[in-house]
Amino acid sequence: MTLEDALQQALNGLSFGALLFILAAGLSLIFGMMDVVNLAHGAFYMLGAYVALSVTRATGSFWAALVVAPLALAALGLLVEPLLLRRLRGRHLDQVLITIGLSLVIADFIRLRDDWGWGATVRSLPFPAGLDRSVAIAGSDYPTYRLFVIAFGAGLALLLYVLHRRTRIGALVRAGVGDAEMLSALGVDTDRLFTVTFAIGAGLAGLAGVVAAPVFGLQPGMDVDALIYSLIVVVVGGLGSLSGAVAGSAVVGPADTFGKVLVPQFALALIFAIMALVLLFRPTGLLGRVRIGR
Amino acid sequence: MGKRNDAAAERGYRISRRAFLISSSAAALAACAPSTTGNAASSAAATTAAAAATAGPPLKLGQLLPFTKVYAELGNSMKRSTDLYLKLKGNKLANRPVTVIYEDEANDPQVGLAKTQKFIDQDKVDVMLGVVATPIAYAIRNAVDSAKMIYIDTNAGGNALTRTTNNCTPSCKSPYIFRTSFSSYQISEPIGEYMASKKGVKEVFTFVADYGFGTESQADFTTGFTKNGGKITGSLKAPLGSADFVPFVTQLKAQPTKDIYSFFSGADAVKYIQAWNQLGLPAAGYKMNGAGFLTEQDVLAVVKEQANGAITSLFWAVELDNPENKAFKDAYQKEYNLLPDVFAVQAWDGMQALDLALQATKGDTSDKQKLIAALEAVKFNSPRGAFEFDKDTHNPIQDMYMREVKTANGQTVNTISDKIGRVTDPGK
Repeated sequence: MTLEDALQQALNGLSFGALLFILAAGLSLIFGMMDVVNLAHGAFYMLGAYVALSVTRATGSFWAALVVAPLALAALGLLVEPLLLRRLRGRHLDQVLITIGLSLVIADFIRLRDDWGWGATVRSLPFPAGLDRSVAIAGSDYPTYRLFVIAFGAGLALLLYVLHRRTRIGALVRAGVGDAEMLSALGVDTDRLFTVTFAIGAGLAGLAGVVAAPVFGLQPGMDVDALIYSLIVVVVGGLGSLSGAVAGSAVVGPADTFGKVLVPQFALALIFAIMALVLLFRPTGLLGRVRIGR
Repeated sequence: MGKRNDAAAERGYRISRRAFLISSSAAALAACAPSTTGNAASSAAATTAAAAATAGPPLKLGQLLPFTKVYAELGNSMKRSTDLYLKLKGNKLANRPVTVIYEDEANDPQVGLAKTQKFIDQDKVDVMLGVVATPIAYAIRNAVDSAKMIYIDTNAGGNALTRTTNNCTPSCKSPYIFRTSFSSYQISEPIGEYMASKKGVKEVFTFVADYGFGTESQADFTTGFTKNGGKITGSLKAPLGSADFVPFVTQLKAQPTKDIYSFFSGADAVKYIQAWNQLGLPAAGYKMNGAGFLTEQDVLAVVKEQANGAITSLFWAVELDNPENKAFKDAYQKEYNLLPDVFAVQAWDGMQALDLALQATKGDTSDKQKLIAALEAVKFNSPRGAFEFDKDTHNPIQDMYMREVKTANGQTVNTISDKIGRVTDPGK
């Protein structure tokens, strides 16, 4: 591999990592706060992509979809948490089962909605105007949309960091992650906090769906792929922390890309091997920490 | 921090991890389980006919097709075609009123085998048809063979299903198995020969999906191409269902051979063709060649003019000019307001071959040998042209065409650029 190829593949790895970060951030946030592994996360991602497809068709603007789809998913999250998850709080397995059920319902709903232009066929979302061409990097053409994805992922990480560290809601989230019962005893409405957290997590999944759609397309099964990748990222990076999601996607994205290039037969096995190694030697993940029990 | 706190912390972390592991295994379970929620097609007896006074005994057909997961749309297309055929025949084959039982193969060999057993033991169907994915066809081969169940494969193209193989591994031909689709040899080897001998291409780089069918297609192409003096300069494989094709296409661009041979289908083909354009391969002089599924209608509907110039080989195209194809297209469009695809043609021919064979046996399905002989003797004009089974292998003998993707008046289609002629699978 020449230096130019290596640089191109490094950009590929970074853009994949940035997508994984957007995807995993929501999963990690929900787990950190509520101790629920939301297995409907992949379905939320998928639904976000399909909502973006409809919005783009209706308005002709990718940017409208980038705003509307995450909001739609957040609204769904606002309904799902109080209606389904709150009743089962503290019953981990039941909560997880209900999120699986929800993911099946969403996936089948999308499959049966041929009349909305969704359905079981492969769909694609065009690149937004201005980001649909290539620029010369290291002597070869590189798609601008992928550079946008890298910048978007980095910007989002920064934004989430500031929200997390510098705002009141961020302080509440950190307190909730630390000890939700104590927070409740201090007079904070944790029910509302959980609902908001879940909605933000669902919105982030939707956002990932929009950003990924022009690159990966829309098809049945995309929910399961997304869920598996995001689980790997949070396990590698560390569950329930923002920095963990950053670290996990920074490792898994490039590892997956270079795995495909250097040892294509073992690309998928490679990232699972990384996950197994992390679990063996650092069971809390690269940046995970021991958490206070409840 | 006292000792008690540490212990609590330890316990807390353990609980979290346990919760997580439980969740993850539940996820794995969910991924394995067949999804049947809200699936109208599954287990539904789709067509039930009131037996007319003069009608023969009811005929029960079992169709094993994917209605969920990645190949769901292929299953839908084949079901539409089957339903249309029966509707046009007044829901009778050889004067026997027909009931079709549809089951979902769920793209899983275990599920496919279980549903096949259901057809055999519980539903006691007279004839079985369908199956999209080759691993499922291989998985059910022994079950239908030992039950003497006549089964017409209407898509799965793995070579071994109609061949004589060592120890029947991974599969082998059976007197009870017929195929109305193709073998991977038929759609891969002739284009290799064609490129080397007719097009004068000297060197090709191959890039295929890393699973049984992709590997077979690559090997068959290589045989046809090198036999006629061509040279394969290198090869690359992408795991089936790869999320991102740009890393692979970056590698294609980093090597000097301009002619690329590929086998991908469905979503993989879409991602591949999109990555191909994003990285500017057409402008850099690279040429896309492949087995026909690379540019079938499901793919072209999404990528449109991005696929222009791609050369593929297949036994059919929407544009194919013959009266049967025109009649089929018109009937299909009238019923569904959709253009048929190659999967619809394969399912259609499955029904047509069965219909003609049943007419020859006067509707008798109990004498298996008689029905097998009747199927072997079937000859008809299909939308793809003259169709017959190879009596030795039960694989179709059919014409193969070279097609080029072109866009005119906003429509992107495969135009027929040349006819290769009759292609028979070698059978071993």
